[in-house]
This record gives sequence, C-alpha cells and structure tokens, in this order.
Amino acid sequence: MTTSKLSIDELKKRACETIDKRKKEIIEVAQQILANPEAGFREIKTAQIVEQKFQELGIPHQSGLALTGLKGQISGGAGSGPSVAVIGELDSLVVTEHPHADPSTGAAHACGHHCQIGMMLGATMGILTPEVISQLSGQIVPFAVPAEEFIEVEQRLELRNQGKVEFLGGKQELIRLGEFDDVDIAMMCHTASDMGERKFAMGGTSNGHVVKFVRYTGVGAHAGSLPHRGVNALNAASFAIQAINSMRETHKSDDTVRIHGIMTRGGSAVSAVPSDVRLEWRVRSATPTAVVENSTAVDRCFRAGALAVGAQVNITTIPGYLPMRHDTKLQDIFRRTAVDLLGEQATLVMPARRNRGGSTDMGDLSHIMPACHPYTAGAVGPGHSKDYVVTDYEAAVITPAKIMAMVVIDLLAEGAKRAKEVKANHRPLLSKQSYIKFQRDRAEVVEFDGAG
Amino acid sequence: MPSKEDLKRLASEIIDSKAENLISIAQTILKNPEPGFRELKTAKLVAEQFGALGLQPRSGLAVTGVRADASGSTPGPTMAVLGELDSLIVGDHPHADPVTNAAHACGHHCQIAMMLGAASALTNSDILQSLAGRIAFMAVPAEEYIEIEYRDGLRRDGKIEFLGGKPEMVRLGEFDDVHLAMMLHTTSNPAEQQICISNTNNGSVAKRIQFIGRAAHAGGAPHLGINALNAAMMAMTAINFNRETFRDEDSIRVHPIITKGGEAVSAVPADVRMETFVRGRSLEALMDANTKVDRALRAGAMAVGADVTIQTIPGYMPLQQHKGMAEIFRANAADLVGEDNVSYVNHRGGSTDMGDISHLMPVIHPYIGGAVGLGHGATYVIEDYSLAVIKGAKALAYTVIDLLGDNASHGNSIVGGQRPDMTISEYLRFMRNLASEETFKSA
Repeated sequence: MTTSKLSIDELKKRACETIDKRKKEIIEVAQQILANPEAGFREIKTAQIVEQKFQELGIPHQSGLALTGLKGQISGGAGSGPSVAVIGELDSLVVTEHPHADPSTGAAHACGHHCQIGMMLGATMGILTPEVISQLSGQIVPFAVPAEEFIEVEQRLELRNQGKVEFLGGKQELIRLGEFDDVDIAMMCHTASDMGERKFAMGGTSNGHVVKFVRYTGVGAHAGSLPHRGVNALNAASFAIQAINSMRETHKSDDTVRIHGIMTRGGSAVSAVPSDVRLEWRVRSATPTAVVENSTAVDRCFRAGALAVGAQVNITTIPGYLPMRHDTKLQDIFRRTAVDLLGEQATLVMPARRNRGGSTDMGDLSHIMPACHPYTAGAVGPGHSKDYVVTDYEAAVITPAKIMAMVVIDLLAEGAKRAKEVKANHRPLLSKQSYIKFQRDRAEVVEFDGAG
Repeated sequence: MPSKEDLKRLASEIIDSKAENLISIAQTILKNPEPGFRELKTAKLVAEQFGALGLQPRSGLAVTGVRADASGSTPGPTMAVLGELDSLIVGDHPHADPVTNAAHACGHHCQIAMMLGAASALTNSDILQSLAGRIAFMAVPAEEYIEIEYRDGLRRDGKIEFLGGKPEMVRLGEFDDVHLAMMLHTTSNPAEQQICISNTNNGSVAKRIQFIGRAAHAGGAPHLGINALNAAMMAMTAINFNRETFRDEDSIRVHPIITKGGEAVSAVPADVRMETFVRGRSLEALMDANTKVDRALRAGAMAVGADVTIQTIPGYMPLQQHKGMAEIFRANAADLVGEDNVSYVNHRGGSTDMGDISHLMPVIHPYIGGAVGLGHGATYVIEDYSLAVIKGAKALAYTVIDLLGDNASHGNSIVGGQRPDMTISEYLRFMRNLASEETFKSA
C-alpha cells in the first residue's frame, strides 16, 4: 500500500516508460507473428507466442477459446470495478504475393494484425507496471481473438458442420460462447496505411455484411462432342455476376454498398462442361436493413444465374458483421489521450457517418457493449494487398500500446470512475441474446432449381 | 395416249409461246409490291390470268389467296402448284414502292409468273386429258413473316388466326383435298447454280417480349427504379450463355431485336420490348431452344427484379422435302439446264411456311437461279427472267406431268408411301398450343 497515490498523469507516464523500456521486445513479438502468418481459426503458432508472453508476464489466462483465442485476467489492486478488454486479433489474410507470405499456405499479414498482438501485449505490460496496476479498480482482460478476416468461407463452413464453431467470425463466436459476458468495455486499435500526416484516427463507421457460399450444380459433359447434353455451371455463375453488376445503379450512395466475391471453383477440366462451380461472396452495406435488402437482391441474381441455363444453385447465407458503432464517451477518452501524446494535428476524428467500407466483428461487439476501434499509422500500401506492409513499428505498435494503456488507466483509476460513467452512459443496441438471435436468423440455405 | 415426253415437249412449246407475257406478268408484280395479307393488286392480277386460262378461281382465301383447280380425265391425287403473292419491305430496294417501301427482294413475283406459266401449259386440253387427278393452282399470301404487329391486329380482329399465309389456308381447309404440293423459289446464291435441289429448312417460332420495370429519375433516384433495359440485356446474355448447348445439326437461330429500349435517357427504362425468332431444323430441337429462350427471358427479368411478358406466336414448321418427288424434279431440272448446272444443298437456315405443308403431305421446295444480290436485301434483283420464270414454269409443268401422267402412277405411289407427320387437325392443335402468352413476375 503506497502512502502517496500517484496522479492519473503520473500513472500514464509510468506505463509509457515501461512500454518504452520493453519496446524492442514488443516489436519483436509483432515481427515474429509477421513471420508466422496464420489465417483465422488456424492461429496455432500465433496463439503459442501469445501464451508464452502471458506466462512470462504471469497473467492467468484461458486458451483455445473459439479454437485459438486467449483471454487473460488481470485484477486491479484497488478493488473491484468494471472489466475492460484490450483486444488484439490473431489472424492473417491469405495474400500469396505478399513479401511476408507463408510460402506453403499463402497466409500473410496484409492487414497489420501482427501489430495488434504487439500493442495488446505492450499495453498490458504498461498496465502491469506495479505502481500502475495497484491503483486500478476492476479487471483488465488482454484478449487475443481469432478470425477477424472473414475468408476461407468453405473451410470455415466445414468447421461449422463439424460443430467446432457456429459463427464464422472470431468475436461473434466468442460472444456466443459467453467469453464477453464478463467484459464491460472493449477496445482495440487497427493499423492504417491511409493516414497522411496523422498518427492516430478514430470515429467513422464500418459496413455491416453477410457472407455467401454459393454452389452451382450443372451437368458435366464432353465440351467438344456433347455440349448440348451439359448444363454449364460456370455460365450460370457468370450470368449471376453480370446480374449483380447490372443492379449496381440501384445502390444508394449513402448505403456504401460493396458487393464482391471470388470464384473458388470454376470447373474441373477445360474439356468438360463445368458442373460444379463455387463462389464466396460478400454483401456489405452501411446499415443492417440495407444489408438485408441487398442480400435479397443478390440472392435473386444468383437464382437468375441458375434459371439462365437451367442449373441448380445452393446459396448458403452466413451471418456476417454489424456496422461499427463507437461509444462516444470512450472515443472521447481516446481522443484526449491521443491529443496528449501526439498533439492535436496528429489526431483525426472522423464524423460518425464516415464509412470506411470494410467490416469488422468489432462492430458486433459494439452493438452489445461500449467499444472503440481507432486506427494508428505505420503501414503503407492498400489494405489486404501484397503491398500492405508496416514500415513504422513505433507508430504501428508502440504508440497505440501507450494510448490503450493510458485509456485503461483513465477508465479504471480513481475507483474506475470513468469506466463506470462509460458503462452507465452506454445504451447497447442489442442484448447478447437478441444479438445471437439476430445473427442466427440471418443464417439460411436457399436451394433453387433453374431447370424446374 | 401421248408419252410423258410428248406432253413435256408440248408444255415447253406452250410456255415458250407465252414467254414474253409471263415475264411481263412477273415485272408487273415487281412494280406493284405488296406485303403479306395486303396483296390486293397482285391477287386481282392472278385471278384475271386464271380466268383467261378458262379456270374458275376462288379469291379472298386467307384475305388475299387465290385458288383455281384443273381436273384431269381420270380420278387421282390432287397436286398443288404454289406461288407466293407477297413482297418484303426493303425501303432502299431499287423496285421498292415509294409509299409503302414494299419490295420484291425475295423473288416471289417470279413464283406467280412461273405458276401461271405451268398453268397455261397444264390447262392445255391435250395435256390435261392425259393426266389423272387434279391440279390446284394456288396463289398464297403472306409467306414472309413480317409486320407482326399488323398481322396480330388482323388476328385480334378475327380476320386471320395464323400469321402466315399457308397455315391460314390450311386452317381454312384449302389443303384438305390436296395430296401433294410443290413450289419453286428463286435463289441468288451462285453456289446453288441454275437449279438447286434442297432438303430441309429451319422451322421457327416468333416472340414478342415486354420487360416491365419501374421508371425513376435516373440521376436522382435510380435506387427506386427497376431497369427493364438491363433486364433485356441480361436476357440476351442468358440466350448467348445457352448457345453452346445448340447442336450444329439442329441449326438453331435466335436473333432478337429491341423494338423499344426506353422512353427518355434521363429515366430508368421501365418498358422495353423485344422481338425474336427461334429457329431450328427439327421440331424437337426447335421446341428445346424455345424452352431455353423462354427461361433466359425469365432469367433476364429475375436478374433485376423486373417482370416479363412473353408472347409466343407459332411461326413455320421445319421443312422436309419428299425424296421421291425431289428426284423427279431433279431429273426434269437436269433436262432443262443440264446435269452440271444442278446443285444440291442439304439444309438452309431460313424458314418457310412450306414447312408446315411438308408436315401434312409430300412436298418439294427447290430453288431456281436468275437472281443476284443478298436475299431480303436491297441488292436482290432478278437478272435472268428466262431462267427464273420460263425454265421455272417448265420444271413445274414437267414435274406435274411426271406425277399425274401415266394414270398418276408416281403420284399415287408417293401419296400412298408416306404417312404424313401430322393430320391437319393434329397440326392445328399443335399450332394453337404453341400460341401462348405468359407473364413472369420475378418479385
């Protein structure tokens, strides 16, 4: 028990000193993960790296949550209070041409998640500074979560069929498993490559989405001698894609509609009429209502593809993510902290309607608790491309580690006064139960026989 | 009893003696072109000519058709010799009517003249008395399947049921008493030489299609619109996606046009209209393609959430010619123009309502040269009338003599040897079932 309580500013200073002192180690963790990229629900090595750090730091934790997630539990030394999660995402993308891609799997950190794990551990180290943690009330939950990138849909559906997951996004699955039941406030920070002169940005929103796995079944036949006996599933899919494109003029600008996908199977041999063609598709829009509307229209396009050539189509709609809704009070704490550390000029607050177009399962979490998902500089190149690399680890890992540590201190110091305010001020858009029901309602399988 | 050779020699002399008049009849019709179901002047001329030959023509059949029969001395089969009355519409044709744009860009004017030439020979009493059975000379309307809107109006007014002349003549019973039918069409294809023995032609159905979307300001509120033009484009894409399933030997042809593509460029098109033919070599292949086209049209509507109305109008049946009759005609052709100037073609992609007749009785529909240019185009004109009309008339007359001479022994064996694909009532039922109108709502 210290006799002289440190001021909040002093606590923040001590936490930042710890982070600066362990800077090399923190950045090395990020780079080690960069060198071992693993896509969602497969983050075995990455989880081991996190586990080893949790052990070194003496953090009690659970592992294997939603297959690969790790959740630490740190109690503040100044009594009980709300629980604040500091989240880092474990998973990589698959970008085979990326300079840091795994040559065998094509996995690559083309979205900077490796830095998130670094900053989550860095923030935790700062918070664990003895004179800091002793003055915080409540719980700190360093949380390494799997599978934010909604990819490898067919493989994840297989996990679903095996009963290993129900939802195909990591945070969605963790919510379902109750792993956020004991969390009151959640935060994370994402790297960005489009910040210009700014170092730190917050606000705005993201798109909601649904994900589709589409399988066209035609009739195979010798493409040279018996094409009249075949039903070309590739033509069915091509027609559907053109139909989707012919609908684009009907998208409202305000809805930030993004409809896009890939063909994961386009035929098996060039000499045969393709009879099995598969697509993974995504329908993104600014509001859940627009997601449903556009999802319905896209389903119609997929059915039209089957009708065009008399093929069959199976459309599996998979619940995707909800738009990000930043908690305004929490965001304001982030803003003040970033301004303190980096200055007004380096800090950007985007208007709430500004939609970056992408989607994150942090949006799901933000519907059931106060959450914030700001951005930090340090990367270059278009996100999700081979050119997205982190060039400034200080900006990408150390700065956000400090900001998150300081925000946690702001929230949980002084008897967790501000965390309680954030909690009291927040009106969740959905309860956990209504969230799970909403998502389960979006899961559907539609079969349509275009020849019937 | 004179031999067939004697009869043919006599027929040839009669036709030669009338050559100038026959060519001038063709040229009169050329100068007075009238499209289908409007051939009033042409029909009047035919009726007059029939009268001049001492025949009793019946006029106004299927609006403008004319038929005159001549009976031989003994009972036997009835053989129809057909000529088509109608012109096309080709505004820039050198012989186009300046008011209506009608023009004989397919040589039908020669058909009428060669039929009249054959009639002038075959009604000669020496020839007619040597024939058994009966010859029905028929000037038939509306072979070219055009002006669908006008003809559909006639249909709605109860003046016709079918949009082609021969199907309508069949419906009216004008083929009930006919056992064999023959006509001879001009050709401009040099590869087909002076006379061409053909085999099959495509059958067809016609479609009138309307895509119904929802209009909206194309700049201000496109999200409220449903783009019927996009539906039509997608439908055409869907049709193209099916082409690989059409067999070469089926000669499927699907060739749509857009007759209305939107109202104003600033509005999302809500009413887009299309017409198409679907053609195929066999009825089975034609119906298969027709099903695929209907499905593709529905897929176009579904692609954008529009509705589509598809009106299917029976077109013409695939043509199949009788081999035995064709062989008799070929031998006469060889006599007339020399073996080396006779050609053979197995299949032609166009359609004719002689195909409908070919499902009911043995028919032939060979081709004779004399024309140049592109069929149905502004360049299609007759250069050699003595081939197209005079030799054509002789070929028809000789073939009738072969079939009905010698107590119609050839004619009887052909009639007795072929079971028609359909009876007339089966044919009419088929055509009526094919006529359909469906509205597909994609919502």
